[in-house]
Formats: sequence, structure tokens, C-alpha cells
Amino acid sequence: MYKTTGFLSFALRRFTGVALVMYLLLHIWVIGSSLDSPEAFNERLNFLQSDLFKVLEIALLAAVIYHAFDGVRLLLVNWFKITEKRKNLFYSVMVISALLVIAGGVPILLFMLEGK
Amino acid sequence: MRIFQIQRITAVALLVFMTIHMIVVHYPPFHIDFSIIAERMTNPVWKVIEILFLFSVLLHGLAGAYVVLTDYKQVSRYQKIVAGVIIVIGIAAFAWGSLTVISW
Repeated sequence: MYKTTGFLSFALRRFTGVALVMYLLLHIWVIGSSLDSPEAFNERLNFLQSDLFKVLEIALLAAVIYHAFDGVRLLLVNWFKITEKRKNLFYSVMVISALLVIAGGVPILLFMLEGK
Repeated sequence: MRIFQIQRITAVALLVFMTIHMIVVHYPPFHIDFSIIAERMTNPVWKVIEILFLFSVLLHGLAGAYVVLTDYKQVSRYQKIVAGVIIVIGIAAFAWGSLTVISW
């Protein structure tokens, strides 16, 4: 059971989901508490562009993209009754996610390495 | 309404909102600035979109958290307390987030 794609997608979905909801609450608080002035906002934005946060941002991007495409996979399987395709769709989700994370992550890394 | 149905409906809404969010806020990369967002936020349509986004993402995220938590046998005994705490967090986060959007 623990080696099936079904279990893997279930575990990844829960892990990314829990991480994303914790990020969401932090995100709502961070934005709301930095609106005293444009300077205060931009200052906090600068703080969030340190290297540590850039790396975390790539992880965030990966979590969002994987969770979204895995969700699309579930909706497709459920609506079109194509349970027999779910495994192939899981591999497609992995490939699409990897490509999109690279496409989005490389600019973030370059920004981090080349300076602000 | 069953949580399963809530998750399906909000998932579809989030696909739309998340795509808009990624393109409008994060593309092109690294040009987030107070003035850019402030300019967009002068349009009330954007405020409505942001509040709908906030509502669906909180509903989806917190309903998901509730399912994950109550899946544990030890936690499921306190199902009602968990539900109560999550609803309070949801209302507080929605109020805080909406005020942020409105006052921008």
C-alpha cells in the first residue's frame, strides 16, 4: 500500500495542503500588518527577499503547483469516471509540476544569485 | 453541505483565482511594489476579486485542515472543539484579510 502512486499522491496532497494552510494564515497576517505606509510595506518586502526566503519561495511554488495539478487530476478522474487513467495522470502531474517549478524557480534562483 | 463538495467547488474557484493571482502579482517576477498594488486596488472590481479569493482559499484550506486533523483517532474525539477553533480562526482571518483589502 505504501508504495502505490495512490498513497504517494495522498501523502503529498496532505503534506502540501497542511504546509499551504499554515503559509496562508501567515501570509494574511504579514500583508495586513504591514500597510501603515508604503515604506513599511516595501521594507518588509525587502526583508522577505533575503536568500532564505527565496529558497522557501521555491518550496512554496512547488507545493502550490503540485497541490493544484493533483487537484485537477482528482477532479478529472471523478467527473469523467476514468479511474483506470489515474496512475498515468499522476505521472503527468509530476512531469507538469516539475517543468513549471523549474520555469518559475530558475528566475527566483537567478534573482537570488545575481543580487537585488 | 458535505466537506467533499465544499472542497470540489472551492478547488475550481481557486484554480481561477490562483492563476489570476500568479499572473497579476508575480509576473513579471520581482516587481512587487506598494505603488503597483495600490494602483490596481483603486479598482473596486479587484477588491471584490481579492475578497472572493480570500473567502474560497480560507474555506478550502481550513476545511482541509479539519479533515486532516479529525482523521487522527485521538483528535476525532474532540471533533466539535476542533471545528469550533477552526471556525473562529476562519472568521478572524477573513475579517482581518477583508479589512486589509478594503483599506488598501
